[in-house]
Amino acid sequence: MPREFQRGHKARISDLTAGTDLYVGVQISAPGLSFDISCFGLDADERLSDDRYFVFFNQPKSPEESVQLLGAQAGDTESFRITLDRIPAQIQKLSFTATIDGAGQMSQIAPGYLRIVAGGEEVARYAFNGSEFTTERAVMLGDFYLKDVWRFAAVGQGFDGGLEALLKNFGGEVAEEEAPAAPSQPQAGASPGFAPPAFGAPGPAPVPAPAAPQQPQPAAAQGFAPPPGATPPPAPAPAPSVHGAPTIVAPLTPPGGVHVPPPAPAPAPYGQPQPPYGQPPQQQPYGQPAAPGAPMPPGYGQPQAPQAPMPPGYGQQPTPPGYGQQPPFGQAPGQQAYGVPQGAPQGGAGVTAALQQFKETPTGQRWTQQNRKLVRVDLGVGGQPVLARQGSMVLYQGKVDFSYKGAGFAGRIVGNATGQEMQLMRCTGQGQVFLAENSTMLHPIELQGDGICVSAENVLAFDESLQYEVRRVEGHGIPGGALFTMQFTGTGTIVVKTHGVPVVLPVTPTTFADCNAVVAWSAASQVVVSSQVRMRRNAYPGDTGESVNLQFRGAPGNFIVVQPYEV
Amino acid sequence: MNQPLAGYAPAPVTARMENHGNHMLKVAMQTGNDLFARVGSMVAYEGFVQYEPNPPAVRQIARDWMTGEGAPLMKCSGDGLLYLADYGANVVVINLNGDGISVNATNLLAFDAHLTWGVERVKGLAKFAGQGLWNTKISGQGWVALTSRGKPIVVDCGGGEDETYVDPDALVAWSPNLKVKGKRSFKAQSLIGRGSGEAYQMAFSGQGIVVVQPSEDSTDRLRIRG
Repeated sequence: MPREFQRGHKARISDLTAGTDLYVGVQISAPGLSFDISCFGLDADERLSDDRYFVFFNQPKSPEESVQLLGAQAGDTESFRITLDRIPAQIQKLSFTATIDGAGQMSQIAPGYLRIVAGGEEVARYAFNGSEFTTERAVMLGDFYLKDVWRFAAVGQGFDGGLEALLKNFGGEVAEEEAPAAPSQPQAGASPGFAPPAFGAPGPAPVPAPAAPQQPQPAAAQGFAPPPGATPPPAPAPAPSVHGAPTIVAPLTPPGGVHVPPPAPAPAPYGQPQPPYGQPPQQQPYGQPAAPGAPMPPGYGQPQAPQAPMPPGYGQQPTPPGYGQQPPFGQAPGQQAYGVPQGAPQGGAGVTAALQQFKETPTGQRWTQQNRKLVRVDLGVGGQPVLARQGSMVLYQGKVDFSYKGAGFAGRIVGNATGQEMQLMRCTGQGQVFLAENSTMLHPIELQGDGICVSAENVLAFDESLQYEVRRVEGHGIPGGALFTMQFTGTGTIVVKTHGVPVVLPVTPTTFADCNAVVAWSAASQVVVSSQVRMRRNAYPGDTGESVNLQFRGAPGNFIVVQPYEV
Repeated sequence: MNQPLAGYAPAPVTARMENHGNHMLKVAMQTGNDLFARVGSMVAYEGFVQYEPNPPAVRQIARDWMTGEGAPLMKCSGDGLLYLADYGANVVVINLNGDGISVNATNLLAFDAHLTWGVERVKGLAKFAGQGLWNTKISGQGWVALTSRGKPIVVDCGGGEDETYVDPDALVAWSPNLKVKGKRSFKAQSLIGRGSGEAYQMAFSGQGIVVVQPSEDSTDRLRIRG
């Protein structure tokens, strides 16, 4: 199941996949519009210092081919192949952008996405639609950026000025007219006319493309060619450092505050309007590679494909399974359907081959999620102890010591009084520890100076560098007067466990959750107890079911996590 | 009426043992090719399949099992399709093809009757683990199905002197050529209620793999039902 990103979300790529050879697909469409999707390779100052790292339709690869443009495939409007470990050191950031080729604005676009596919499997998806934008003509969809390790951020920031504003944002004014990108780029720099995208002659920029007869849009016939002095102003906010801020910084148009209603998506091949976040993964509106029979995106470098050729087992010759030699018995009437097929299953035979799909995924990271229910921590990386729930270790390698972690005298009093008590052990030493508990689903969350509130019984493990304290949620309706939760702040990783697949909701003006099912929420959101249920509780003698609802308020970008299990 | 359920019809048989979803095992039964399965694991069958609980042959091999109520295996024979499950645990199907594997008792679901198998007690450990850990060593040409609470993980022991330590409650299976020993990490603290919750582990060393489940609940659900 791909991880769903929303605007502002960030993650380490190593948390998404162990591979470094990635396929990035962008799907963006709008009735009657075409899009140029490009990738900017930026240096540490977020400048396009080397024009060869502006990968677009006219320059389909970077010099060492670490970034390659692959074209439309598998339902994606445009696709890239990114080889992270071949990207040269001066390139610190890859920014994926889409610009409208011609007249139009981003509010017209149909629901689209940017996705990351590794080894034939989609690992991340950032979905967007037209209601998040207004009159922008270019949008920065997402970034791969290097901060210790390569990370991915869903940006979704629009630019009013189109591609030239985008270029100005990245490259400054330096030699914009002569930039190799500019001549062939339709709206780049001072290029006055509408060159259709196939206009490949790299002539000097000021050649006025004569009104583009191939362009069917009426807008094109009007010769929308602003003189160089009258270009629309560049983007109002020239990309503040997106990755420094705690949770979200991208200016977000509140959903519903749409200036231009999106046109009816009549001819849209990818069709039905859908909520901007969280489509269920099993409905496959866009011919995803998961669909049987759909063309798979190139699955280069599959690290743990189940069908990988089987390494020889423990020293036996690979004979086919030989037990099935007995001839088909005399069939009872009507029973001929139960013949046992001969031959090995796909993927080979033997213990090693059968268990290939469950292999450990080794990475150099401190925290690695092995599967949805198992997480591995490498104590040697980072060199600090990990606090984990007592008894949650299932396996370890190396020299690791497990010791009791007391809450301290004050901590025990607070724990007893609030119920937010954790039975912890401290794991120290050198080695890898695998943590799991009761096959609950685990979610490592990396905190970078921001905070998260988690109910104590949903904490599996965390770095000792994190600070935590008991926080109180006040309200009238709560039995006992208040509700308590643990707030974690600092820099480090916390592993949260949920029973079943959780839902992550963005905090909107009307976000409610059952206090028994809510697992975590970002610390910046404000929690209010909604009292409507209390009246219902009083109206009937018994408990009618829903005890206490919490309402969440906060700036856009905050989120809550709810599990399908009411404790 | 049953359109939403139509997607769960059994797929055509392609092998002796197959997964039906993640949590159910489908075995294509054939006369002369019998199967040992956990007692109580059958959830459905098609065709003519007969069950013989506590067969004499098993009792002979498994006399080490101190169960008191007979071996937890039944012999299934006949022709048909047999469906087995263990309370929603993940099922892992292995075509042994000459390899061998040691399986924890509660994690063994079914195996071909013609395989070579034996029961042994895990040395130095049975007195700690509450359920009395015994394991079944299976090898030969044929199929084995294991259960795991949650998707398992396979760790390579890597050879050499380094030991891999496993919580016995989370252990599913391991390569039989690995060296096993019990490791106690009792400290004085543990006796006064300040243990880390990890009192004993099994240490594996040598060349091979260890299969671990992401849960420490190794309760034998089939046994509980009786």
